[in-house]
Amino acid sequence: MSANATSEVLDVSGTPRVPFSRLVSVEVRKALDTRAGRWFSGSIVLLSLAVVVIYAFAAPEGSRDFGDVITVSGGVLGYFLPILLILMVTSEWSQRTGLTTFTLEPHRGRVVGAKLCGGLILGAGLILVAMGVAAIGTLLGGGAWSITADVLVKGSLVANLIGILTGFAIGMLLMNSPAAIVTYFIYSLVLPIAVNVLSAFQEWFADLAPWIEFNTAQGLMFQDEGAPGGTLLAQLLVSGTIWLVVPFVLGLLRLLRAEPK
Amino acid sequence: MITVDHLTKTYGGFTAVDDVSFTAQHGRVTGFLGPNGAGKTTTMRIMVGLTPATSGSVRIGGRDYRDIPNPGLHVGVLLDASAQHAGRTGREVLMIGAKTMGLPDSRVDEMLELVSLTPAESKRRVRNYSLGMRQRLGIAHALLGDPSVLILDEPANGLDPAGIRWMRRLLKSYADQGGTVLLSSHLLNEVELIADEMILIGRGTIVASGTKESLLSGQASSTLVHSEDNDALGRHLTAAGHAVAVEAGGLRVDCDSPTVGRAALEAQVVLTELRSGAAGLEDLFLALTEDTQREGRPAAATAQGGTA
Repeated sequence: MSANATSEVLDVSGTPRVPFSRLVSVEVRKALDTRAGRWFSGSIVLLSLAVVVIYAFAAPEGSRDFGDVITVSGGVLGYFLPILLILMVTSEWSQRTGLTTFTLEPHRGRVVGAKLCGGLILGAGLILVAMGVAAIGTLLGGGAWSITADVLVKGSLVANLIGILTGFAIGMLLMNSPAAIVTYFIYSLVLPIAVNVLSAFQEWFADLAPWIEFNTAQGLMFQDEGAPGGTLLAQLLVSGTIWLVVPFVLGLLRLLRAEPK
Repeated sequence: MITVDHLTKTYGGFTAVDDVSFTAQHGRVTGFLGPNGAGKTTTMRIMVGLTPATSGSVRIGGRDYRDIPNPGLHVGVLLDASAQHAGRTGREVLMIGAKTMGLPDSRVDEMLELVSLTPAESKRRVRNYSLGMRQRLGIAHALLGDPSVLILDEPANGLDPAGIRWMRRLLKSYADQGGTVLLSSHLLNEVELIADEMILIGRGTIVASGTKESLLSGQASSTLVHSEDNDALGRHLTAAGHAVAVEAGGLRVDCDSPTVGRAALEAQVVLTELRSGAAGLEDLFLALTEDTQREGRPAAATAQGGTA
């Protein structure tokens, strides 16, 4: 026991607050140290490897370059990355570890910030893994070692950043692992299909869709070459506000106030 | 030391904690006692900043919990031993705590040894732990940062008798070294054995507090006696002006035991059993929280009161 134990007043002069970097490294560790976390990250890496191997042999001759393969490997990993982020947030509530986390660091804003930074680090690690997997695919397929700036910036950076923030927002908003994962699948799989079907039948809706549906706007961004400009940028901002910014802010407010039970 | 000052917490129209004030002194084990749902856990959650108070305040060593930097090094907290990730190993649970607080890995092994979790057990996942093992893990976690204040919610839950004795000794020595220990329980006997001070809470309000002696001092004296000739002894005591009632094959007399012993000597009756029949803490506790119990006051508890 510390020397000040017998004092009526807690002497905290010798204790600095927990450094933010330590909170971040703990959050990264927590994302990977459970059975679920380990199996999940291992599985998606294996899955992307499998998809890339098939792609390397099945893709037409001109589409086996490094830049093409990384779109495939990064696409698979990037699709599942938000789930890792969801679990980082929701496990504090579903597994009730928040009781410990928020007692060891009562300033919840710092914990949330550390989780987000941890998520970004995991995302960066994932891009590296995607590159490694893509390198294997390129070797197998005998493609050229070329990559465009579009693939690097939009495909890797922007897409994963949006994915990380989306997972984080859903996690904070729902605070429940199964519900958040189901919501993510509905948002990323069912919603775009529904929008596509509606757009196919109603022309006015096809024009409206990129304004009100984030996935559609992102799809247009990936189709275009170079940076999005004018209308597309406006569509990205509007639909992004509806589907990302608003849920993120609401989720953050909820998480900062909720009582961990 | 922990100071709770006029603490109130309401959820909508329900008052979970109602104007609660008490102090847990350093160097003492303070027992926080009350029936299920009396407000013990809510009070403890407010202490560590998990639940905001509606009004009033809690100060730990003169500070708000939120203002304690790296609080794990100063305040050891165990609120719910089952609130751990089921897919994490016991050792990893402690590792995360140690990493957050900035402690060396060796501290984890020390704590595992202290709470008697074997290396093999520590590598199992919490999912496969018994409640007693989770409780030990939770206590290890609370002690990780070598804090001077311990806040433990129902720490003896699920521990076997040897475990309860071990925990009692551990907390006692902690308090003896100057630490502040606050532990809650709904089991009176458990708290009675370990706590220097007791705080009794029922339906959100404090109904009594103090040491065991001071809590019981207000009780009228009463003696239970068995002898070879209860009738003769009874007549003698009645003649001396004491109320005597037949109870469980013996007599209950409303005076202290030396008086009964003297009466037996005078009446030349051989005593076979003589003990205090005063209502124990359990009776006091049940009486004080009577209107807050889920069941009415059970008659059996009154009859057994003398053995407490």
